[in-house]
Formats: sequence, C-alpha cells, structure tokens
Amino acid sequence: MKKIRVLIAIMGLDQHEVGAIAVSRALMDAGIEVIYAGRFNLPGMIARTALQENVDLIAMSCGSWEYLYYVPELIELLKAQDLAVPVIIGGSIITAGDEKTMRQKGVAAVFGPSSTMEQIIEKINGLVNS
Amino acid sequence: MQERLSQSQIPLKQVYKPGDITGFDYEQDLNDPGSFPYTRGRHENLYPGGVWIQRELSGEGEPSRTNEQFKYLIEKGALGLDVIGDTPTLAGLDPDHPFAAKAIGTQGVSLCCFDDFRELYRDLPLESLSLSHSLSPQSVMSCLYLYAREQGFDPAKLRGSVIQAPFYNEDCGYAVHMPFKLRLRLSADSIEFATKVMPKFHAFVEDTYYISEAGLDSVEEMALGFIEMRYLVRELLRRGLPVDSFAPRIAILLNCRMDFFEEIAKVRATRRLFARMMRDEFGAKDRRSQAAVITCHTSGLTLTAQQPFNNIVRGAIEALAMVLAGVQAIEISAFDEAYRTPSPESHLVGLRSQQVIHMETNVTKVVDPLGGSYYIEALTDELERRIREMVEKIEAMGDPAKLSEDGWFKRNIFDHAMQRYAQQIREGKLLKVGVNIFPIPEEQDTLLKEVAERKMEPCFGRIEKIRRYKQGRVQERVKTALKALLEQAGVEGPNLMDPIIEATRSGATTGEIGGVLRLAYGLKYDPFGLIEPPFTF
Repeated sequence: MKKIRVLIAIMGLDQHEVGAIAVSRALMDAGIEVIYAGRFNLPGMIARTALQENVDLIAMSCGSWEYLYYVPELIELLKAQDLAVPVIIGGSIITAGDEKTMRQKGVAAVFGPSSTMEQIIEKINGLVNS
Repeated sequence: MQERLSQSQIPLKQVYKPGDITGFDYEQDLNDPGSFPYTRGRHENLYPGGVWIQRELSGEGEPSRTNEQFKYLIEKGALGLDVIGDTPTLAGLDPDHPFAAKAIGTQGVSLCCFDDFRELYRDLPLESLSLSHSLSPQSVMSCLYLYAREQGFDPAKLRGSVIQAPFYNEDCGYAVHMPFKLRLRLSADSIEFATKVMPKFHAFVEDTYYISEAGLDSVEEMALGFIEMRYLVRELLRRGLPVDSFAPRIAILLNCRMDFFEEIAKVRATRRLFARMMRDEFGAKDRRSQAAVITCHTSGLTLTAQQPFNNIVRGAIEALAMVLAGVQAIEISAFDEAYRTPSPESHLVGLRSQQVIHMETNVTKVVDPLGGSYYIEALTDELERRIREMVEKIEAMGDPAKLSEDGWFKRNIFDHAMQRYAQQIREGKLLKVGVNIFPIPEEQDTLLKEVAERKMEPCFGRIEKIRRYKQGRVQERVKTALKALLEQAGVEGPNLMDPIIEATRSGATTGEIGGVLRLAYGLKYDPFGLIEPPFTF
C-alpha cells in the first residue's frame, strides 16, 4: 500500500515548534511519510509545496493567532488551484468558537491539547482513505 | 518501589539528615546573606528597598495601548515594568513586511521606530521606575537613550534592563535571522555602551527563561545560561573592559517551574556558582560583581489551556518559591498564557498574588528562611555540581560559539528537550492536573474561559501608518545614516551603538537597521528574500 504523505507546517512568525515536532514524530512512527516544512511559511509557500510534493493532507500547527487568517487563505488558494487536499489544524490556542469558524471555512479536522496521537492518526487515515 | 526523583531527575531520599551535608562548611559554602559566596542572597537585608520588584510582563497592540497597560499596572501597585515586543518586533521586521501583517501587536507590542518608543514611554516617571525589556538590546537602548535625552533626563540615571540572547535566540523562538558574529557584536556593543553612558541600566540580562521554556530542566537551563554568560564576559574582557566596570550590572532572568524545592535550590546554587566564577575565574573585586542579581518569570510552559483557573494556583506556588529563594524581581505568567497575551484581569491576578505573598504571609520577615535545611543544602550542592559539570563538559567540546553556529544546541538539547517534555506528559510521568489527571469534560470547563478566549485583532492599521511614516522622513538623512551604519558594521572594531543611535534619530526603522546590518555581514537585506532595501547605498 502506498504510504500516506502529510505536509506539516507552521505559519508566519509563529515559532512554537513543540507540537509540530511531537506530531511529526508520532506520524512517522505510525508509518506515515512526513514532509516537515517547519517554521516561517506563508499560505502561498505551503500550497506550492503541497503541489510539488504531491501530499495527501496538510496539517498546520497553530501556536499563534496568525492561523486565523492564514488557514482560510490557504484553503482558498488550494481551491483556486483545484487541489483537493484536506487541511487539518492543531494547537492549544484554538478555542471552541474558533474551531467552529475554521470548520465553516473548510478545515477538515481540529485538534486541541487533549487530543491523543491515536485520534490524530486515525483521523488522518480516515480523511485520506475516504 | 517507585523511584523518588526531582524534576531534573536528581535522586531524592525520603528524609534528609546531618549526614547528607557532611563536609559542609558554613562560611565557605553558605555564609551570611550579603557575604561571599552569596548563596543566601545578594544583600544582608532581604530587600534594601523593602520588597522585591513586583511586575507583570506586558505589551500588546499599538505602543499607545501598551502605555495604557503600563499605567494600569502602576496604578494597581506594580513596582516595575517589563515589556515584550510582538513577534515581528522581536524578529526585527517592520509592520509593513509581508510576514508581519497577521501578527502585529497580538503577542506583544509593535515597535519599530523612535516615534513608537516615544508613545510607549509617554508620561512614565523615569526617575522612579525600573523599565525592563524583552526586546533587541540595540533598539531598546538607542530609543531609551534618545527618549531620556529628549526629556532632559540624564541617561546615566536610567534604571531597568534588557535581555541578551545571542547564543540561542535563533533556536528558541526569538529568531532575528542574523549570523552569530553579528548577534554577539550587538550584545557586546550594547553592554559596553551601557557601562559608559547608562551605568545604572542592566544591559546584560542573561535570559534563561525563554530557553528553558523549550522544555529544559533546571540543570540544563542554568548550564546553558552560564555558557552564554561566560562567553559574553570573556568577549567584554577581550575588548579591554575591566570586569568590575560591567559585572555589577549582570542580571539573570530565570524560570520557575513547579518543582518547588528544586527551583529554590537552583537559585541558591546559581548565586554560589556565579560568585565563585566572577571572583576566582574573572578576577572581580567589587562585591556587586560577585553577588548575582536574579529575577524570575514563572513558567508559561507549566500552565495549561485546560481548566485555566488552575494556573492561578500554579503562579502563586511558583512565585512563593522565588520569594523564599530571595530573588530581586518576579513576574507571574498570566493564567490565560496558553491563549493570549495577558488580559487586564490576569495581570491583576498576577500582581495580587505577589501582593498577598508579600503582605499577608510574613515570609519576607526572615532572609533565606530555608537556609540550613538538610534537604535544601544537599539539593543546592547537587544542583551546583550538576550545573558545573554540564558547563565543563560542553566547554570541553570546543568553542561554544561554534557549537551555537553549527546548531549543536538545537540538535542535542532543544529538540530533545521538547520531545522529552511532550513524552513525559503523554506517558503521565509528569502529572498535569486537568490534563493527564483529573480532566473534566470540555462543556464543564468554562470557568475563566471567557476571559482566556477574548482576543485582539492584529493592528492592520499600523501597516499603512508605518508606510506613511517612512514616506514622511527626510530620505536623504535616513540614507546617509544607514550608509554610515553599513560602513561601520562592515569593518571590525567600531561600536555600532553610535551609528545605530544616529540612524534611529534620523527616522530609520528597526527593520531597516537590521537589514543594513545583514547586508554588512554579507547576507540578504531581508531574511525571507521578499523585500528590497529602501535605498541603494
């Protein structure tokens, strides 16, 4: 079976990397291929990488409120390029209210500080294989 | 049997007895407060001013909004101020940079030119206030200096501080996208400038807080701090500065996590290590050069997004530990830390927590109240030994500057620490109430959530404001000043504070000054390659 390819990135000037590194490691341990874009990305850069790397899913780590603007921008860019790649987000700063807004804007799944790695992996498998 | 370990994995006993501190010599190892090796504190009296500096970290939005925050805190009894920039400001990017827009003013205050600092400091009582800054030293010191001069206030009387973070900032969330040599030069230049022009200002704050928030333990935190401090001290000595000209104004801003006694012992061990290092290794004679100034910010990493009210308890416990350790200043991480910059409510809770400890508990009546406890002294000894050994081990590997440049600290310490911390929580080895024990369903977790979730928009208006500001300057003057900076930065030797002050006075912004410095060191003006220099030099 083909390995699932996930792009993990942090956007703008958000420099909180703990979560992104921990999730990357857990995904790799679960046999998922991770393209780790690290810090300092803008939506255009992520959309470009997603296309070039032919990824199955984009996972954004959110440690600052910049995501509230960048994630919808990214989803619009993907749509404009006809790139049907689901976008999921995770981070301790995502509030219940923002989760709702993000889902309305097209985010496929939202994970908070109490989500387990198993839940994240299961959801990724579900989203990619559906 | 379950292992009994401190948070830094130091084996602990069930009870401590005289046999645990055999060989202990009161005068050698402890001595009275205010006497070498200052283990029990810098002063004979706990606080010469009667109390530690009680402050809260602040800064959000426009400079004028932060100025209002300052006034609010002072009105509520704050005894000092500590301001942090937003992420573009800390990265040295102006608000009109493509990477800045969505982060302007949301995680700190947006500052990029002298006008901004004028707004920030407006009407503050410079004569009575200590102004601490978590910002780039060269921009703070040039603007504070210019502001004092403009107000007719003698810069030699300015009190306050600025952090120096040349070793680890690129790895730990304060990336300024400058090469190590340049970061070191800016640190040493600003410290040297302070010894001559702002001698009461602590221009040399070793900030171990932010590096340890990557998940480091107490031993790693202080070892890395000492490595950076020792390197900077050697650099200043190499420049011919007498040690006693700058050492009295070294301060350490450290972290306090939840392991109560370990954190107290860490402060005491740090004082002893610092005193012996300054006297025996660097030849400091002035007692103020030997007695460490220690300030503390309680750990944001120990706080949780779940059940944010628990964070109030954590902040109070951590602050109490630091009061018992006798530090010179404390700021409590706000209970809404996991969500946002501090709300007025969480600022008030932080200040009130300090005031309750100060005024209701009597813990400040006696200096170093835990001194002589078998446990505390044994733990202080053990921490001192482990910190010293780690410093020696790393310094023996080669030039620490090279290790920093090569990313050794990132690969071998920071990345590892992040994963270790996440794993400890995931596996329940480190208990976090409300996270991996005693969670409650999300719908019940409502107390204080409303405050925590109230957030502010980025200050998009600042983008246009700064564009207009840049257009309104006397361009020729700005260009001339930046060109002078470019030339001086291009050669080794000149202290860059003077040309930076001149550039700032001419109206140049932090982003432009940073860009020109990068050019002088052979890098691109913009670290992201998205914008061009405003002038051809």
